[in-house]
Amino acid sequence: MRISIGPCLFDWGKKGITDFYKKMAFETDADILYIGEVVCSKRLHLSPKELVKLAKELKSSGKEVVLSMLGLVMTEEEQVEIRKMAKLAKDAGLRIEANDMASIGVGEGQPMVAGPHICSYNPETLDFLKEVGVERVVLPVELSANYISGVCRDVKSIESEVFAYGRLPLTFSARCYTARAFNLPKGNCQYKCGDYPDGMPMHTQENKQFLVINGIETMSELVYNLIADLKTLQKMKVDILRLSPQSKNMKDVVKIWKSTMDGKIESQEAIAKLLEINGNDPFCNGYFHERPGLEFVQ
Amino acid sequence: MNKIEVLAPAGNLPSLRAAVDNGADAVYFGFRNATNARNFEGLNFSEKEAIEGLRYAHRNKVKGNVVLNTFPQVDKPDIWYKTVDIAAKIGADAIILANLALLKYCREKHPDLPIHLSVQASASNYEAINFYKKHFNITRVILPRVLTVEEIKKLGEKTDIEMEVFAFGGLCVMAEGRCYLSSYVTGVSPNIEGVCSPARAVRFENRGDKLQTRLGDVLIAEYEADEDAAYPTICKGRFEANKKVYHTMEEPSSLNVLEMLPEVIEAGVVSLKIEGRQRTKSYVGTVTKTFRKAVDAYYSSPEKFRPKGKWIKTLNTTSEGATHTLGTYQEDWQ
Repeated sequence: MRISIGPCLFDWGKKGITDFYKKMAFETDADILYIGEVVCSKRLHLSPKELVKLAKELKSSGKEVVLSMLGLVMTEEEQVEIRKMAKLAKDAGLRIEANDMASIGVGEGQPMVAGPHICSYNPETLDFLKEVGVERVVLPVELSANYISGVCRDVKSIESEVFAYGRLPLTFSARCYTARAFNLPKGNCQYKCGDYPDGMPMHTQENKQFLVINGIETMSELVYNLIADLKTLQKMKVDILRLSPQSKNMKDVVKIWKSTMDGKIESQEAIAKLLEINGNDPFCNGYFHERPGLEFVQ
Repeated sequence: MNKIEVLAPAGNLPSLRAAVDNGADAVYFGFRNATNARNFEGLNFSEKEAIEGLRYAHRNKVKGNVVLNTFPQVDKPDIWYKTVDIAAKIGADAIILANLALLKYCREKHPDLPIHLSVQASASNYEAINFYKKHFNITRVILPRVLTVEEIKKLGEKTDIEMEVFAFGGLCVMAEGRCYLSSYVTGVSPNIEGVCSPARAVRFENRGDKLQTRLGDVLIAEYEADEDAAYPTICKGRFEANKKVYHTMEEPSSLNVLEMLPEVIEAGVVSLKIEGRQRTKSYVGTVTKTFRKAVDAYYSSPEKFRPKGKWIKTLNTTSEGATHTLGTYQEDWQ
């Protein structure tokens, strides 16, 4: 089972992103790196060319690099962007991660990953996606262990990847909720997302943790964590586990996952260590156990 | 000149008749199971009722579209495929689909059944729409509620697929078919079980002089005694962010495009969809009738068209929270 570092879903700026992925490439045991902007086209800090250049540099670490594409494509400019990305990726021999059907269309025939925002809910859908070039599928985050096994049964020659760690990307809207929180129009958002490296907390009126606002995306405030379910994931023969970038100490997060996967530390110890990194905020894993996503099943 | 279509919801036979009797050009309905996104108790059609409904619609020269817009579940996909066959067999005028596998099945098995791409497929751009056209020969796309009228117009220039938009009713502000907010709290996936904010997870609780609405254990909003409480859906909830309490995503108001009707028509939209298969026949009748009048008024004199005050007033009486919004169609909403 391999480890991937998902696309950074937050606005860490050009330098923040570049430094982060270099660290992941050259200082961790992750196997796959997803780079590229999924959430907001206003955050495209790296042009497609710069992105491909970065990808080539990261690839020299021996890891696979995939170019992730936008999750919600609406405008002409965004479509121009994804066409450029797909073309450059093809020329550079890189897979693209499609997160909107637009990218499946644009990338048809070239090697693709169907990201977690593509509705891969059954094996027949995977069969179709395979026909158009999809070689790997990242399952929708709301699926349980049993359901994932069902989706992936009988589907040969397509790799499975499960979102295993990080704040869950739950939904996209045309409206920017960060701009709304500052009474700013989306067109003049002043890049407020940059001030919230793990998203802006959205609590209930009882002041309980609930969601985080991340521009047009809304996410779980709790970090999803399947490390206690590692044995199940191994039994299911999941090919890849995705660790989604969080601002705190991702290098150690990868190390803890790797050590647990290799049997060097037990999952209880791993959870304790991850809790410490996560500032002792609780985790959630409910989706994997056919429960509400926000629950944590022991 | 072909008039824009008024497309009305039907949660049961009486609503279907109300839609037809009040001037709908077409109606849409689903079957009584998880195969559509309004899988609510006591709602939707049996096969027999669907046949009867279609007969009533066709007799009045009204079209009937079958909704099959959830994703087949892995352990019991048969019911979805059977529903495609039933729609073809009973003579539906179109089938509304979201799932790639069902689209493929329908196109191969029933090449003459027109396919409308559901809003649940979240196709918000011409690259996606043209992909669906190429592979499944869809004839129409139901646009997600994420685009401005200006964007819809530009979209129309890049595709020859018919465009249908939501004109009135509940406003889903997320990219539909890809929203996990409700399952995050309830464990029930709208995408495969057909229900967002299921009634069994909803609670209204009096706390002193305040009213609280909950979904699962999560407090969605707390209301003062003089406020109207909305049904607790997360995207219409009142939460705290950036040190203030407000509707962080959207106010609990209804969509109403009447004020922008000329712009919507001139953007090339062919069908105005009224949301609300879960609503009463009186809602369906009232809203359909009002849209019929408005559309006819536009075509009798496009330049002079202004929405009448009494139309807006009538529509407001049917709306959640009795307020309405132009939603995503106007740019400053975003």
